[in-house]
Amino acid sequence: MKNADNTNEISRRRFLEAAGFSMTLAALGGCGRAPTENALPFVTQPEGTIPGRSRSYASTCGGCPAACGLLVGVRDGRPLKMEGMPEHPLSRGGLCAIGQALPLELYDRLRLQHPLQQGKQVDWKDIDRAIAKQLSEIAAKQGAVRFVTSTVTSPTLKSSINQFLSSFDNAQHVTFDAISCSAILDAHEQTHGVRVLPHFRFDQARVIASFGADFLGTWISPVEFTAAWRAGRVPTETDAEMSHHTHLEDRMSLTGSNADRRFRLSPDDYGGVLSHLATRLVKLSDVPPPAGKLTASPIPDKEVAHLADRLWESRGASLVVCDSQDIAVQSLVNFINHLLGNYGETIDIARPSYQRQGNDRDVIALIEELNAGQVDALFVAGNDLTHNLPEHAALVEAIKQVPLVVSFAEREDDFSSLAHFVCPDHHPLESWLDAEQVNGLVSLSQPTLQPLGETRSILESLNRWVGNTDSAYEILRSHWKANVLPRAKSQEFNEFWDHAVHDGFVEVEPRVVSAQQFQTDAVRLIERQQPTEGFSLSLYPKIGLADSRNAHNPWLQELPDPVTKVTWDNYVCISPLAAEELSLSNGDVVRVTTADGRIEVELPTLIQPGQHDRILAIALGYGVRGTDRFANIGPDWIEAKPMLAEGELVGKNVAGFIEAGEGAISYFRNGITLEKTGRRRELATTQRFHSLEVPPHVAPHGGEVREQIQETTLAAYRKNPKSGAPESHHPAGEQLWAEDHPKTIHQWGMVIDLNACTGCSACLVACQSENNVPVVGKDEVRRQREMHWIRIDRYYSGNGDETGVAHQPMMCQHCGNAPCETVCPVLATVHSEEGLNEQAYNRCVGTRYCANNCPYKVRRFNWFDYEHNDTLQNLVLNPDVTVRSRGVMEKCSMCVQRIEEGKIAASSRGEPLTDGEIQTACQQSCPAQAIVFGDMNPLFLFAVPLEKKSETEELDKRRIPKLLRAAFQNNEKKLPEHVSVTVLEEGHKWQVTAEASRYVVRKATEELNVYEESRVGIALANPRSYGVLEEFNFRPAVSYLRVVNNTAEDATNGGGHV
Amino acid sequence: MQQRVITVVLLVGLFFGLMTLGSGMSSWRLPDNQQGYAPEQPIDYSHRLHAGELNIDCRFCHSAAEQSRHAGIPASDVCMKCHQFVTSSFDVRQEEIKLAEKEQRKPRTIISDKLRPLYKSLALDETLKPKADVTPQSIQWVRVHNLPDYVYFDHRAHISVGVKCQRCHGPAESMQRMQQFETLSMGWCVKCHQDATKDGIDGRAVHASTDCAVCHY
Repeated sequence: MKNADNTNEISRRRFLEAAGFSMTLAALGGCGRAPTENALPFVTQPEGTIPGRSRSYASTCGGCPAACGLLVGVRDGRPLKMEGMPEHPLSRGGLCAIGQALPLELYDRLRLQHPLQQGKQVDWKDIDRAIAKQLSEIAAKQGAVRFVTSTVTSPTLKSSINQFLSSFDNAQHVTFDAISCSAILDAHEQTHGVRVLPHFRFDQARVIASFGADFLGTWISPVEFTAAWRAGRVPTETDAEMSHHTHLEDRMSLTGSNADRRFRLSPDDYGGVLSHLATRLVKLSDVPPPAGKLTASPIPDKEVAHLADRLWESRGASLVVCDSQDIAVQSLVNFINHLLGNYGETIDIARPSYQRQGNDRDVIALIEELNAGQVDALFVAGNDLTHNLPEHAALVEAIKQVPLVVSFAEREDDFSSLAHFVCPDHHPLESWLDAEQVNGLVSLSQPTLQPLGETRSILESLNRWVGNTDSAYEILRSHWKANVLPRAKSQEFNEFWDHAVHDGFVEVEPRVVSAQQFQTDAVRLIERQQPTEGFSLSLYPKIGLADSRNAHNPWLQELPDPVTKVTWDNYVCISPLAAEELSLSNGDVVRVTTADGRIEVELPTLIQPGQHDRILAIALGYGVRGTDRFANIGPDWIEAKPMLAEGELVGKNVAGFIEAGEGAISYFRNGITLEKTGRRRELATTQRFHSLEVPPHVAPHGGEVREQIQETTLAAYRKNPKSGAPESHHPAGEQLWAEDHPKTIHQWGMVIDLNACTGCSACLVACQSENNVPVVGKDEVRRQREMHWIRIDRYYSGNGDETGVAHQPMMCQHCGNAPCETVCPVLATVHSEEGLNEQAYNRCVGTRYCANNCPYKVRRFNWFDYEHNDTLQNLVLNPDVTVRSRGVMEKCSMCVQRIEEGKIAASSRGEPLTDGEIQTACQQSCPAQAIVFGDMNPLFLFAVPLEKKSETEELDKRRIPKLLRAAFQNNEKKLPEHVSVTVLEEGHKWQVTAEASRYVVRKATEELNVYEESRVGIALANPRSYGVLEEFNFRPAVSYLRVVNNTAEDATNGGGHV
Repeated sequence: MQQRVITVVLLVGLFFGLMTLGSGMSSWRLPDNQQGYAPEQPIDYSHRLHAGELNIDCRFCHSAAEQSRHAGIPASDVCMKCHQFVTSSFDVRQEEIKLAEKEQRKPRTIISDKLRPLYKSLALDETLKPKADVTPQSIQWVRVHNLPDYVYFDHRAHISVGVKCQRCHGPAESMQRMQQFETLSMGWCVKCHQDATKDGIDGRAVHASTDCAVCHY
């Protein structure tokens, strides 16, 4: 070190002085005015709009043909937040991840902005003229016109298609579903004489047996089925009844993970088990047995007998469903349901569902026609035909021979690249449309913003080509006037229409569906097939992505699969036993090949507990054209790795493995070989630990374990509603935290019923949409830096058939004694007087001590400024929530923006806040209504404004809860010392303040019997209620309700997620 | 030698510093304190005339204040409620009426230069008829009261408990050109919240929380 006295050197002190001076000047230089910002009012304010206020419009979700009820939150002219419609008879207020992610898809830059002719941008006028010219030529020579759509639930669109096709002699409408249920419809044609998909009523079923049908995840109408399934899954002390759910499947689906009893069964063996079931039920009822030979049962006879007895006991209130694409198997399912008397009870065939109408026979015929060059015009809407069908190369060649190919794709996809004309349809949020989900329930979709591009509703396109220049709105109205109004009770159309637009749906007279007597002749027992060599492959739709149309949505790509927890990829699921035999580990890239070696795919493996040992499973809907756009999604920094190689797509398309079977498209294939490639590809998973078992060498003294997910059985619950609770192991001792938090009238809390929660992850996307949670990309997920505020922990227990799965949503628990708060050096995370653990972003300096000290690991750190360069995509951001910048911590705020909004709205009305008025985003969207949020304090703790403190009459007028009145008359001195009632003289305002904790308050008020429990309070009083890690005295504001499995008390399945 | 180098460096620094500060030096403020900010507006609108002399209620124009987070800037057609009749000053119109009487014709619409930008925004011609080929455009007002993006202020909450507009915006009714009267700093907000909780607003007890999440989320 140099001598500081040396005058030739600048001393450290001098340097700092000079630096300080310059810094001060620089800071003062920064004191200029902030950049000028303009404020632009409307020229003419549209009626009813208020700047900054969100309005909800009733509409119908266009995410999939299930068409759930939707409330579109529109603010300042842009749709921002999708919410479930509580009044909707099917979805009952729930909305899945796909529905929640609609706005991000709307503001997608890759959506087509103009119609295309031979890939070039043209005017609608030109395209109409060119198409009309070719169509007239085709009509003149009586050419074949084929119109392919996915399921069309819209009666108006269907009638427009029929009208369009009626002008040709040889025209056909082919319904092709990428995930088809065609066999169910065909089976009903055979057994009931009508080709319909019945409406399954899970809410009426006390015993459910599902053969592979993932009805809580992806099958037909998962939101509706979840809501219905939940109705039978919540036992109470007074009514300790639960439905029983048996699930037989090849892979581990979300539905299987929630079942009471689960068997691993190859889809080839569904028929075998169903035959045994049918034979047993035939014996119990007095019906002649169906033809066919009975072979050995794939699962033990005892289990089949047990299931059959269970179903028989609940006949008329049981339900057997199956996702097989084998018509014979589905006919057998119908027979069993018929024997059980379920038709008319749990299966509604008179009011069938229109949510899946795919006809695979037509599709197979169309492919033959295309290959034979017999098609003159091909129109495709709502589906990427070539991406979702096998034999891609041959199909592409065949389509290239078609003289007129028209696509209605919203963005360029595999098929539209072959089309001569692309007539982009509006996004569902931009267009008028309707939907008839179930016979007699007609819903409306209304536009919530002006179309962002030069797109055109498919209704308008079709009508334009037959010379009708009406707008979609006019087309819809005239169809409703002619066809829907006669089915309604109402006579006056405008009134009826306004009512429908306001409510979003109308219930009208169902069409007559004349099902025949059950045709027992159509049913045959199915012989067990000889197990084939090698593996079998099962193709399945992934939750959130479903078919290929959602692949451009980064929210859904980054949504962890509820079971595997993998994001941004598809993979080969393999059972632990098979993986061990082949010495495979997670991420080993394997080559999956068909027996003839024609089709192969290379994908990483994922070891999936509960998977059938001889079956591989791969998700469909990946490898979508254009998804190479995500190669560099995520932060740009020195160690960033591109997510995809040059030209690579997200995942691989495995539609090539689909087989066109007998009259149905099959997603299951035998004779598959698997070989290791020696390469590895690390999967981006959000959960790396799968079990909560404590290794013996680290187990605390006495082998005591902390049960984060507590479970019990129904039998045990009946004996003791508190069963499943661990023995109290931590006596209340000295407390680290003093009871010094100030508390006011509200103490926010949340209760999550783990018995209702299926783990579907809709809440996760709802939260992402509400709270501006960024997408981080695969590389960052691999580094475990995903930003989701809610994670759904999934734990396995047991193995093989006995694999149990538990799901637990985990977000900031808003601990009363929060460990994060004590370590923050800058007080950026502090406790609010309403019991929230607040995070002030502008105060946070990013030490990350809080995340380190959080026992629940729910805090998320902004390692980067996540990408917000796309100005169009930025329209999806919620203006009520700060977009966090680099270097700050964030976490669940319990939607504090909604709490503030609710309080202010109530205060503007001059009324106290009502219980349940404020809903968090996760709670609102939950299809299972598993989440309750609200005030933990009893209701009488609300401050109520009074004009004159002595006038009880005045109290009545102001609708004050009767309890407060009682407290008032009781005289404040009678209240225990924990609770004090004070009258603020100046304001004539009652204020009840609780000095002690909420538990004490409740106890005190219980003694007084002068309170009304809030909804959260009622849930907290449930004997199943517990707090995760509550023994550490963090006092979480989030509580959980214990899982109850409907299994025999001694069964090992289910329990033991420790 | 060393001392001289440092002195020169400091002087140069001071010179450039003063150059940068220049006009901003009118008053000493902490960074981001925009007190006294009174930018020029596209229309020389006078709050003194409208709210002061004519005594128009604030909420006639800023009608969203009771219903929304934002008080809102009135749409151009709100101005037209009066200014379809009032197109220039009283004297000018009186003169025109007299002149018209003399010349035995209908009085012409005389548009004052100050109001031209309003009619331009609505794409109206000299006789206040809409121009066929022009699209109306919003008036590009310059925002005066601008809180940082991480602050959520709600007008509704304050209006509903009886906080006067002037409490934060100052005597707008006496301002020729709108200016930011208060500092709008966090300390200023918190002080008012504390005072309101202690003393109430107009004798009414209120609970004005000082939790972080009341404003920051």
